[in-house]
Amino acid sequence: MFRLDSLALVSMGSFALLWAVTVAAAPRRDREGPGRWELICLLAGTLLAYAAAELPAFLVGWTLTVLPYWRGGQRVPRLAMAAGTAILALGCLLTTLPNAAVYAPVTFGAFVLAVLLRKGIFPAHFWTLDAFEHLRLPALGLFLNSHLGGYLLIRFAIPQFPGLAAEWLPDVSMLALVTSVFMAVAGLAVTQPRRVLGLLWISQGSFILAGLATNTQEGITGALLHWWVVAFATTGMISVYRSLEARTTSVRSQGGFHGLGAHAPRLAVFFAVCGLGLVGLPGTLGFVAEDLLFHGALEAHPLLGVALPLATALNAITVLRLFVTLFMGKRAIHVPAIPDALPAERVAFTVVVLLLVFGGLAPAVLVALRTPSAEGLARLLAGS
Amino acid sequence: MMETLLLAIVAAPGVTCLALSLAWLAGWTPSERFVGRLTAAVFGLMAAGVIWLGWLMIASGTPSVRVSLGEWFRAGNYYFPLAMLADRLSMPMVAMTVALAGIAGSFSVRYVHRDQGFFRFFLLLHLFAFGALTAFTAGSFDVLIGGWELVGVTSVLLIAFFGERPEPARNAVRVFANYRIADVGLLLASFVLHHSGSTLFTPMLPGEWPDQTSRLAGPEVLLAGFLLLIAASGKSAQGPFAGWLPRAMEGPTPSSSIFYGAVSIHLGAYLLLRFEPVIQAEPVVAVATVATGLLTAFMATVANRVATDVKTSLAFASMTQLGIIFAEIGMGFPRFALLHIVGHAVVRTLQLLRAPSTLHDYHRMHAAAGGELGQTDTLLAALPTGLRLWLYRFGLERGFHDAWLDRLVVLPVMRLARVLGRAPIGPGRKA
Repeated sequence: MFRLDSLALVSMGSFALLWAVTVAAAPRRDREGPGRWELICLLAGTLLAYAAAELPAFLVGWTLTVLPYWRGGQRVPRLAMAAGTAILALGCLLTTLPNAAVYAPVTFGAFVLAVLLRKGIFPAHFWTLDAFEHLRLPALGLFLNSHLGGYLLIRFAIPQFPGLAAEWLPDVSMLALVTSVFMAVAGLAVTQPRRVLGLLWISQGSFILAGLATNTQEGITGALLHWWVVAFATTGMISVYRSLEARTTSVRSQGGFHGLGAHAPRLAVFFAVCGLGLVGLPGTLGFVAEDLLFHGALEAHPLLGVALPLATALNAITVLRLFVTLFMGKRAIHVPAIPDALPAERVAFTVVVLLLVFGGLAPAVLVALRTPSAEGLARLLAGS
Repeated sequence: MMETLLLAIVAAPGVTCLALSLAWLAGWTPSERFVGRLTAAVFGLMAAGVIWLGWLMIASGTPSVRVSLGEWFRAGNYYFPLAMLADRLSMPMVAMTVALAGIAGSFSVRYVHRDQGFFRFFLLLHLFAFGALTAFTAGSFDVLIGGWELVGVTSVLLIAFFGERPEPARNAVRVFANYRIADVGLLLASFVLHHSGSTLFTPMLPGEWPDQTSRLAGPEVLLAGFLLLIAASGKSAQGPFAGWLPRAMEGPTPSSSIFYGAVSIHLGAYLLLRFEPVIQAEPVVAVATVATGLLTAFMATVANRVATDVKTSLAFASMTQLGIIFAEIGMGFPRFALLHIVGHAVVRTLQLLRAPSTLHDYHRMHAAAGGELGQTDTLLAALPTGLRLWLYRFGLERGFHDAWLDRLVVLPVMRLARVLGRAPIGPGRKA
């Protein structure tokens, strides 16, 4: 029922750390009441899914992560999550049929569809943006950064259907590429901070799918490292933003500058490091992940290799724009002075920043952790 | 010995920045006096190290110091080589960076005294010095990219230094956009170089600078040459990327002097000098380099003459000199270009550091000349009135550069972005 190999253990460890950081930094209102159940379900469901050796156990974990959103959430995200779960359940059901091989393309198609829905790949991106605007951000960040869609591909879909994976993944990768560029361009004009965070998450998160489809070991290793980068960097950004929201609702207003950096310099620095790490600042893990990803992508498909740096460049502009909007300018007269990072927030954000920075300064350890999985996937895709 | 010395010189500002950052994160904000003395000590030691290294190289007749630090990481067949190189091209740039950044740091102790961003300024100065030294002493293209990007990010963060005003923040975003778009050229060039073999400079560009040769062959030379020219133009504010430099003058004057008078602005020219054999191997690329440089120099020198504030005027003056340096590199005069870079950097740093005292200096010169300063621009006065008026407008509009760029690139992209992002169009949306 469970399979605790290096892929599972590394994923479980990193998610547990991510969860701890999120909970430590989350405002009390997001940790109590319904928020508490969301966080517990997300932890239990994600760890169960990572540890699962069989598809049914994975499905149970996946469903547990979706469960908190079934009641009371926004309609569009709720429907998208339910649809993704139903499609995954259909795929699982098809694998149990006596003549499952006949339905292999349908089964693999169901898995891919579930992945696209879960990751908010175009045209399913709308629900993710809706969720960013309306749902509780800390739990949503954990839900998205569990990357269960990517995990489904790596753990079950590709190993069970290597031939179909080799045939279909280039198309999936192209869709991820379109999503990435689409969201990166859209991010240039959007001013609502929550929506900007959503666009950044989708655009940078799409690189993971694009990297998995490169069929090269460096590309796949880059994609797996980028998984961590997206997870930790966006968790940092989302948590800092949520801390600001908890202090003053003025940050939700569009346009203009909020000028919060003067009162919260540490929050500003945490946000800047996470944001720049997300778009590949040298000295952070993002630089290493993107270096590997770009080279793998260029080896596999020149178009992919050209589009990824372009999308990163546009996302970097969006990150800086969001940073200056939140932290620069003069604070409006009606906005109260806000406290800087509180002790628990400081510890949580320092962990994220240290991980990103030391992962960037000494990346060999983290690359080595991801190498066995990348080698296995590259072999599977090449051998078919 | 020389290898260790080179490593120590490059690492010193990086370690200082990291240590100060960690201390600050832990809750300790050092006093201005401590930061000033630490900066003076670090740059003093670095300067001594550069002199010592230079002396050792001259005394032992070593044309270049090459340090291989192995692989930073590896995945499959791809690896990131960590290598450093100090040769006749690197050493003048390293010496220039250490000396001028040290002077700017010493000047800044008073300039940003009691400013709430004092500590941030010095952190960024150390990070910038680390990035610049990494780029100048890079022994592989990958390491150069790392240093290059650090210089870009610190530059942008210092442009937004006075972030309580909206203009520096907006200009920082605009400059960053220019940098990032141009850096796509650098990343793609990196792939072309990887594809043609190692990205280590020693096997890729055999020989000693300036008598290096290139092992690149075929269409890769043309492609790599153009991509490098795009990246260099972005960093040195040339050609289509010329518009960002006057906007970058929003930062504190000492940082403007070290970034846009001395080090950062010359990084593009350094890249072209390092890859000069590649540029010269393809006449089309060489001609494009000369044309980019001369056209920018013409636009900038006209704009310089009608600029109404001293920092903008100096920005255009820098751009003019960079244009001429690009032309020199394209025409195949690398030694002359290097001399030009160092001379320009020193003079421009002095001019920018003196910029806040321009009126005072002018009055002193006026008095020293007996109240009679010579007429300037007599050559322009000889031109027909129509042409002079057109040139005046051309200068005021900065060669119509930003207008064309906005019309052809920025507005269409933003329109598309608004459609894709379903963002309402209205006032107050630009940031």
